[in-house]
Amino acid sequence: MRSKRTAALLALTVSALTLSTAAFAGEVVWWTPNWGEARAKELAGKFEAANPGITIKMEVTTSDGLPQRVLTALQSGGAPDIIEVQHGWVNGYAQNGLIIPLDDTIQDKDDYAKAAIDYVSWDGKLWAIPYRMETRAVVFNKADFKAAGLDPDHPPQTWKEFVDAATKLTGNGKSGFAITGGGEMGNTITGSLPYIWMNGGSIISDDMTTATVNQPAAVEAVTFYTDFLKKGLSPASTLENDGTAARRLFIAGAVSSYLGGQFDIPSIRTENPAIDIGIFQTPHPDGKETAGVLGGWSYIIPKDAKNPGEAKKFLQFMNTSENQGFFTDTFPVRISSQAQPRFNDPILAVFKSMLPFARPVPIHKNWVQISQAYFDGLQRIMLGDQTPQEAMDQANEEIQALLDS
Amino acid sequence: MKSQTGLLFVLPALIVLFMLIAYPVAYTGLLSVTDGNGHLVGFKNFAAVLKPRVTTQAFINTIYWVFGSIVFQVVLGTLTAILLNQSFFGRGALRAITLIPWVVPGIVAATTWAWMFHTEFGIINYMMTGSGVLQSPIGWLTNKDTVMPVLIAINVWKLFPFVAIMVLAGLQSIPNDLYEAARVDGASFWEEVWYVMLPSVRPVITAVTLLLVIWGLNSITIIYAITRGGPANKTLITPIQIFRLAFESFQFNQAAALSVIFFGVAIVVVFIYIKVLSAQPGEAK
Repeated sequence: MRSKRTAALLALTVSALTLSTAAFAGEVVWWTPNWGEARAKELAGKFEAANPGITIKMEVTTSDGLPQRVLTALQSGGAPDIIEVQHGWVNGYAQNGLIIPLDDTIQDKDDYAKAAIDYVSWDGKLWAIPYRMETRAVVFNKADFKAAGLDPDHPPQTWKEFVDAATKLTGNGKSGFAITGGGEMGNTITGSLPYIWMNGGSIISDDMTTATVNQPAAVEAVTFYTDFLKKGLSPASTLENDGTAARRLFIAGAVSSYLGGQFDIPSIRTENPAIDIGIFQTPHPDGKETAGVLGGWSYIIPKDAKNPGEAKKFLQFMNTSENQGFFTDTFPVRISSQAQPRFNDPILAVFKSMLPFARPVPIHKNWVQISQAYFDGLQRIMLGDQTPQEAMDQANEEIQALLDS
Repeated sequence: MKSQTGLLFVLPALIVLFMLIAYPVAYTGLLSVTDGNGHLVGFKNFAAVLKPRVTTQAFINTIYWVFGSIVFQVVLGTLTAILLNQSFFGRGALRAITLIPWVVPGIVAATTWAWMFHTEFGIINYMMTGSGVLQSPIGWLTNKDTVMPVLIAINVWKLFPFVAIMVLAGLQSIPNDLYEAARVDGASFWEEVWYVMLPSVRPVITAVTLLLVIWGLNSITIIYAITRGGPANKTLITPIQIFRLAFESFQFNQAAALSVIFFGVAIVVVFIYIKVLSAQPGEAK
């Protein structure tokens, strides 16, 4: 009697369990950032219509605190099926075994910009599908240029011309060029690292065994960067400004130029339509080439994803040439997608011209701490605690310890 | 039989307690002596996390932060409580208003203060330069000498109402006879404060201070939201360093090691505090 009841109970439980799994079998949970919400909904709808039986459950994320949220989800075992993350985070996840390779998912790999593919590759495998890429350029106020006697059609190209222009633009409560030195650390890395690269320097050697941030080329570039504050060409609030704060100052008319991205343009146009926006390539040392940090976003599939098969199918749909170009906020990684008319806005031309000069940051497991050591050094210079050489010597020592560990 | 039944009833609570407290504590301990792959590595993580200069700096900053905050929170809170204990017109309204900083969510308060102290857009610089107190704007949050005091001031503003309300509750439980006896003996108001009020509320202040120490040692919100520990680690306190190590740098094992060290230090501090206070029997009673 008793065993019969137990058996019945067991049967009931098992069938209930199968039922609940069946209900979730076709569901793909997708974490997508808030800026693309409307477009994401549209594409998810199209996909569901074309693939009956698979539902897409969107969860909209915000950029503040996203790295912590993603990491917690990946570590907890209760991860979603697809997450959109920045290229730079992918390697950390791959090296810690938190995501699955996507070599079998990507289609037309040759159509993808190589720099972005390299960024999310490790150990001979592709760990994410990059779909969005961008790099920074200098956003400037054309009216301010004219008022200072500068020609907005011939913006500065070299470091020397840049400093001269910033000096002329500074005065009457305006700062010529706003560098960043606080808030979200990433902005300051993106803003200062290219100068080191252009000057032939680096933070760590290519084989990632030696710290090189106190070498003359790097120190010269760091001095160039921090001098904007030292010489009063960047606002007094530099140490508390990140990219957003610099844009706000630009919109408020307090600064004449700053290093911005194409995603800044719509908000400047809405908040202060009176500004005539110009863009120029980040100036380089005389006789050398410009550089920029390659930024952007990728899709990853966590190791603990419930429905990786369906998730891969959805990613293939999202990354057709047409859909990738439709979905991205900045430039798509697929070369063929870049031909879409929305990328022909003249104001994007300079940003587009910077893309070939964009490089990924070094792919090292301690990169966040390495960049933190470098960032702390920059702040010590800007605070007046140390000279650039002293600050970079200390940073170099800390970075070397991180490379050796 | 009877004791077993009792055990059965407390079991759910015990299981919850175990899962939420004992397991994470034990797991942190385990993480601190293993590497990323779960192999035992002894004290390697401890050595690695203690070596960088920033760890020492963070410890010193933490002491500065906790001590600076608590002194002003307790003094200001107690004075406010004594004030609010007097009878005057509008006392109820003032008591309610005093509580506002305490009920504002930490992150909201921190972000608002960050903008108020901003060099360029901040209302504080605007008012001070407008009224001629300052010649030019001060970088409150970017000057190495002002940033920590400013953060402490914000923390004091946030938590002194809590002290005030606790001490006020203590003051109101003092029987009127004591005041009457003091007045018969010719005590002035300040003598009443010193000989009647403060001794009576000493246990309350002790308990509140202990809470403040624990909160101060754990507080991340205000500093992280305003300066993220910067500039150049001038406001980096150990809890934020642990957070950074774990969630920004993936170094869970080193973060666990630092947590264990920090836990040890905190236990010692709290232990000494309780010992010192229990050594003086409460004459207030």
